[in-house]
Amino acid sequence: MATSPEQSSSGADGSSAAREPILSVRDLRVGFRTRSGVVPAVDGVDLDLYAGEVLAIVGESGSGKSAMSMSLVGLNRGPRTMISGTAHFRGIELISASERQLRSVRGKHIAVVFQDALAALNPLHRIGKQVAEMITLHQKVSGRRAKDMAVQMLGDVGISNPRHNAEAYPHQFSGGMRQRAMTAIALANDPTVLIADEPTTALDVTIQAQILDLLKSLQRELGTAVVIVTHDLGVVADIADRVAVMYSGRIVEIGTTEQVLYAPKHPYTRGLLASTPGVTGPIPASLPTIPGSPPMGAERPDGCSFAPRCAFVLRECATTPILASHDPSDSGHQDACWLGELTIPVPDESRSTL
Amino acid sequence: MTLVMRLSRPLRSRTLGMLIVRRLLLVPLVLFAVVTIVFFAMRLIPGSPATTLGVAGTEGLSSKQIQENIDALTKTLGLDRPLLEQFGTYLLAVSRLDLGYSFFGSNSVVSLLKNTLPATIELVFTAMIIAVILGVVTGVVAAMRRGKALDSIILAFATVSFSLPWFALGVLGIIVFSVQLGWLPVLGRLPTSLGYQPTTNFVLLDAILQNRPDLVLPWIEHLILPALTLAISMAGFITRMVRASVLEVLGDDFIRTARMKGLDEWHIMSGHVLRNSSLPVVTVLGLQFGSLLGGSVITETVFSYPGVGNLLVSAVNQHDYLLVQGAVFAVALLFILTNVVVDILYYVLDPRLRKA
Ligand SMILES: Nc1ncnc2c1ncn2[C@@H]1O[C@H](COP(=O)(O)OP(=O)(O)OP(=O)(O)O)[C@@H](O)[C@H]1O
Ligand code: SF4
Ligand SMILES: [Mg+2]
Repeated sequence: MATSPEQSSSGADGSSAAREPILSVRDLRVGFRTRSGVVPAVDGVDLDLYAGEVLAIVGESGSGKSAMSMSLVGLNRGPRTMISGTAHFRGIELISASERQLRSVRGKHIAVVFQDALAALNPLHRIGKQVAEMITLHQKVSGRRAKDMAVQMLGDVGISNPRHNAEAYPHQFSGGMRQRAMTAIALANDPTVLIADEPTTALDVTIQAQILDLLKSLQRELGTAVVIVTHDLGVVADIADRVAVMYSGRIVEIGTTEQVLYAPKHPYTRGLLASTPGVTGPIPASLPTIPGSPPMGAERPDGCSFAPRCAFVLRECATTPILASHDPSDSGHQDACWLGELTIPVPDESRSTL
Repeated sequence: MTLVMRLSRPLRSRTLGMLIVRRLLLVPLVLFAVVTIVFFAMRLIPGSPATTLGVAGTEGLSSKQIQENIDALTKTLGLDRPLLEQFGTYLLAVSRLDLGYSFFGSNSVVSLLKNTLPATIELVFTAMIIAVILGVVTGVVAAMRRGKALDSIILAFATVSFSLPWFALGVLGIIVFSVQLGWLPVLGRLPTSLGYQPTTNFVLLDAILQNRPDLVLPWIEHLILPALTLAISMAGFITRMVRASVLEVLGDDFIRTARMKGLDEWHIMSGHVLRNSSLPVVTVLGLQFGSLLGGSVITETVFSYPGVGNLLVSAVNQHDYLLVQGAVFAVALLFILTNVVVDILYYVLDPRLRKA
């Protein structure tokens, strides 16, 4: 059941095959109360994150990627949100932790880079102040020192003339610089885990590449474990060690980047890849090889939620398939599909564009 | 919520200097409009100052004599001239900042305003400060307790307060605190027994200039009830504004960032919510100041408070044209200048308006 680190060579440091995960998520469920009932955004996710690795979460819009990642640090807690399950991190169970406990984790051990940096930065505060605020909150340093550290951090994320630019306001920055500033805030306290929710989606293609390079190099340098949520399989191929594919609130396939991108097992993953020109581009809004759209909330069928769109539906599919390895030689590559259980030969036409 | 969004939209101005210049350029225009409207409106009201003057103290005179009297006065006051000529003459005088004389008594309009305008300024600004403090505190508390009992109570009070005839509240205040309890003076601005000789006519300022600390307490005692009366309705408005604005800001993405940093609710509120949600409130403050000035006319009358409002009411009753025109002119000027200050405040609060 637990996803162990891959035995292949693409792990972050590749040193030990049986490392302990630093973040261990079990049966995570997130539901949003709405007027028309509860929307189950995350529907029983198990996930392990290992120190220093980059784990990408991919899936169509609405598959629950944000809901899952935000619930880890309680950023979507509220009267309309129901979160259950467990997420163990440094001896704290994050899901049931009090706000006070979570505050000591947020920003210090787990930080987040948000998608829309313009909205995510306070328009009335100087950039330097917004970075320094993160530092003074978790480190015992003077305001002056924090400011210097903030300037240093802004330089580290590639903002030119950081001492001068620390005095700027967000609206005076370009989109790329804002995302760099957001990254500076998130990494200011050298967190163990960085959650990046579509950090490049709002940016131009060239800027996207720069920000990804930055994330990757800082991640290597600091040894940060990164959970990167993305629509873009190009991003996955560029920086991820492992990939989890989400569909309708569940992880339907997980494995190393190589395994998932080049030897996908789950019919959804295969359709996703087949629909994506060149395998490593952005996931298109509609998937030509998978007709239909993901079931939302209450329409979700019993059993495999991909069944309405799946070309291979079996009688077993009326029962929910569990996420498990179907490769005796590699327990790290897992998928949730009955096809693997039954070892039925699968027609290969959906991978023809590979 | 759309109102909040619309009003918080940044003004399109480059520098503070340009902003002020642009606003000040509007001043003569607005004043011209105000003067024109008041000039003709006054002359639309039946009756004339000559009649009011000519009839006064005329017991025993025949109606013919009275009429002759009135005709003579009409000529003296220049009211027999064509209306447009009168208007032109007045505009010329105003452009030289000469507001003329009251028809009753021989005081210049400027000297009458010098005596009364400071009292009104004291009243409206005290009311404004009370309203802002009350409104912001209750608005923030309501937003933080959204959907809870306290929120409903505050909202109910706010709604009632600005749908209430608040001058009736003033009368009630006089009856309870002044007449029944005897805690506060009934009317006026300062008791004559204090022998207050105005320098600037701003009591607080004069108390310092003349070293008369004994003026302060009576001044506050006289001011508090009218100022509260005036403040209540505006406070209710600000409460609702602040509540909506705080709730809107709380939903903004940068609040999630603040939470991600590990800030607690108190620091999020004080460091990230308050200033951001003050923007739309500041914008309406300038406009609300207008209704505050309007309200001061009634409040001053109810409390016999010697301000411009009181002056204006008696001037209208007496058809004292020049005084009415001058008083409205002064109040309009006060309104415009306050709005310039509000613009500057907004500009200081929101860096997005400043040039990169
Ligand atoms: N605050 C909310 N209230 C109600 N429903 C919500 C809320 N947030 C998310 N949802 C619903 O939960 C589901 C999962 O949303 P989520 O934002 O996690 O998707 P996502 O995978 O991040 O999509 P995207 O790629 O568009 O960001 C969607 O059906 C969405 O409509
Ligand atoms: S479990 Fe069945 S329906 Fe679901 S993906 Fe596999 S074959 Fe398709
Ligand atoms: Mg999302």
